[in-house]
Amino acid sequence: MKAMILKEFRELRRDRRTMAMLIILPIVLLTIFGYAANFTVDSIPTRVIGPGAEQVAANAPDLFDIGEVDADATTDDALTWMQDNDTEVVIDTTTQPPTAYVDGASLFTAQSASAAFGRMGDQVQVDILYNPDLDTSWVMVPALIGLILTFIGTIITSIGLVKERQTGTLEQLAVMPLRPADVIVGKIAPYFLLASFDMLVVTLLGVWIFDVPFNGNPWLFALGAGIFLFVVLGLGVLISTASQTQAQAIQLAIMMLLPQILLSGFIFPLDAMPTAIAAIGRCLPLTYFVEIAQGIFLRGAGLEALWLPYAVLTGMALLVFSAAVLRFRRDLAPSAHHRAKAKAA
Amino acid sequence: MTEPLIRASGVTRRFGDFTAVDDVSLTVGPGEIVGLLGANGAGKTTLIRMILGLLPPTEGELALFDAPPSREGRARLGYVPQGLGLWDDLTVAENLAFVDEAFGSRATAVPDALAGSRDRVVGGIGLGRQRQLAFAAALGHGPELLVLDEPTSGVDPLSRARLWDTVHDSADAGVGVLVTTHYMQEAEQCDRLVLMSQGVAVASGQLADIVGGTTALAVRTDRWQDAFAALDDAGVLVMLAGTHVRAVDAGEDRVRDALGGLAARLEPVTPTLEEAMVARERSAG
Repeated sequence: MKAMILKEFRELRRDRRTMAMLIILPIVLLTIFGYAANFTVDSIPTRVIGPGAEQVAANAPDLFDIGEVDADATTDDALTWMQDNDTEVVIDTTTQPPTAYVDGASLFTAQSASAAFGRMGDQVQVDILYNPDLDTSWVMVPALIGLILTFIGTIITSIGLVKERQTGTLEQLAVMPLRPADVIVGKIAPYFLLASFDMLVVTLLGVWIFDVPFNGNPWLFALGAGIFLFVVLGLGVLISTASQTQAQAIQLAIMMLLPQILLSGFIFPLDAMPTAIAAIGRCLPLTYFVEIAQGIFLRGAGLEALWLPYAVLTGMALLVFSAAVLRFRRDLAPSAHHRAKAKAA
Repeated sequence: MTEPLIRASGVTRRFGDFTAVDDVSLTVGPGEIVGLLGANGAGKTTLIRMILGLLPPTEGELALFDAPPSREGRARLGYVPQGLGLWDDLTVAENLAFVDEAFGSRATAVPDALAGSRDRVVGGIGLGRQRQLAFAAALGHGPELLVLDEPTSGVDPLSRARLWDTVHDSADAGVGVLVTTHYMQEAEQCDRLVLMSQGVAVASGQLADIVGGTTALAVRTDRWQDAFAALDDAGVLVMLAGTHVRAVDAGEDRVRDALGGLAARLEPVTPTLEEAMVARERSAG
């Protein structure tokens, strides 16, 4: 038994990725997620409008971070801001008592705001928009679509590609008179189509089983999902180029998946995270897909409200997918790469 | 004069400080079977990967069909890698169909020996049949050059003979063949041999050229174990076939000295290719 334990330790010592998962990852996870795992929202972006705006803003509880006070703005302006996700709460003093519009799509923020307004009694009437019953599934299902796409795009794709390398058929493909583009597109297209099919099924099931409303433009949602798929498929290809075995690919994919689950804002609100941790979340593609999915499903938001997450995801897709294709191409046609380098020199 | 299908001149490949292939030159012409011999780690597969253009050489020049290795060149060759390069989850027929489509060739017939396995997934058929399929896939598009990396490894003698029949048929039809092997019987079937040891081509030519520089003495004695131990202790390269002791590249006087007073009859014999290889390896090392 002693020999077996020693052998196992020796193997583990030389397997750097597993060692990283065993030692470094728990420390990183505890530190980052310890800060991130916070359902309590301390600060809610709020705007106040109408004739009594100044007075209400001055007396609002500290929880509400008053950004804009506009006595001339109308209720229509308030509803537009809410749909565009410019703010989480608008206190409208054109009504008596004032109406607080709360974004129900931001579940924990809305719960904190409702509780705070509840403590104020009849001074404010609360109108929770987009998710009046603060139903968790309404918020989670759109975000879960992103998580499912990430799972398929990253883990399944990388496993499929590494399998070619592990069985030696990637070398056979490289020897065949196929263009690298043929191989890359041929390998990725089935995963793209299957993931698109999954996205459609999960969306329909989400709407059907959980009664999640779909208030926006389905084509706009399909576009966002398509761009997001390019990002996660690109990550899958990148992982495959850095892995020799399927086990290594799974390890790397998990390392990429975990932060997306916990820091993308779909479990813990980004507003409740310390700035540095939220900044990590802002670097993750799922964060932007969650914004797009919740915006389109619940708020019925259009491109004018969601242009930023679309732009960021497009940039990520171009960057990640290009890097993935270049690395994969180098695996397939190393001599061409070498000749190009020699020519440049 | 016909251009060689493969021409390697002074090809070297280094991985960091390690030199896997060191200044190797070889040619393969149409209809010629060239054997690349050597133990595991001799650099055979690295050389093949460079010839195919899968690995750039650190130094030296390589030409495949009189041009640097390229996709166009690779379209004119058939390759059977050590791992066979078959898709285990596809059936025999699906594997052939995919290769046909990739090469733009007409449908390759499923070999008669595989007819019964046509619709079975490749992962579920035996190694001998897998090798036959790999050969059929490599030959389907009518290549001018066959590159075979240990093509009969792990195959029973009968299947091995069948595969070599295929190689000879192809060579007779004008196809050039570069084959790596460490089976001596297979080396004897090649027109020309290149013997590699630790990345270096230590000998090349026909079988007689490679064996020619080596001598062997049969040591006939009833006390063969003692003879073997005495020769080995004296640093003589000694081989054993059953109870027959053979001293390689050692003169009669040296063998007698090593045997001491042990009674034995020494008889010059023709060295085998294996003995020649081991002798070359030893002198190179």
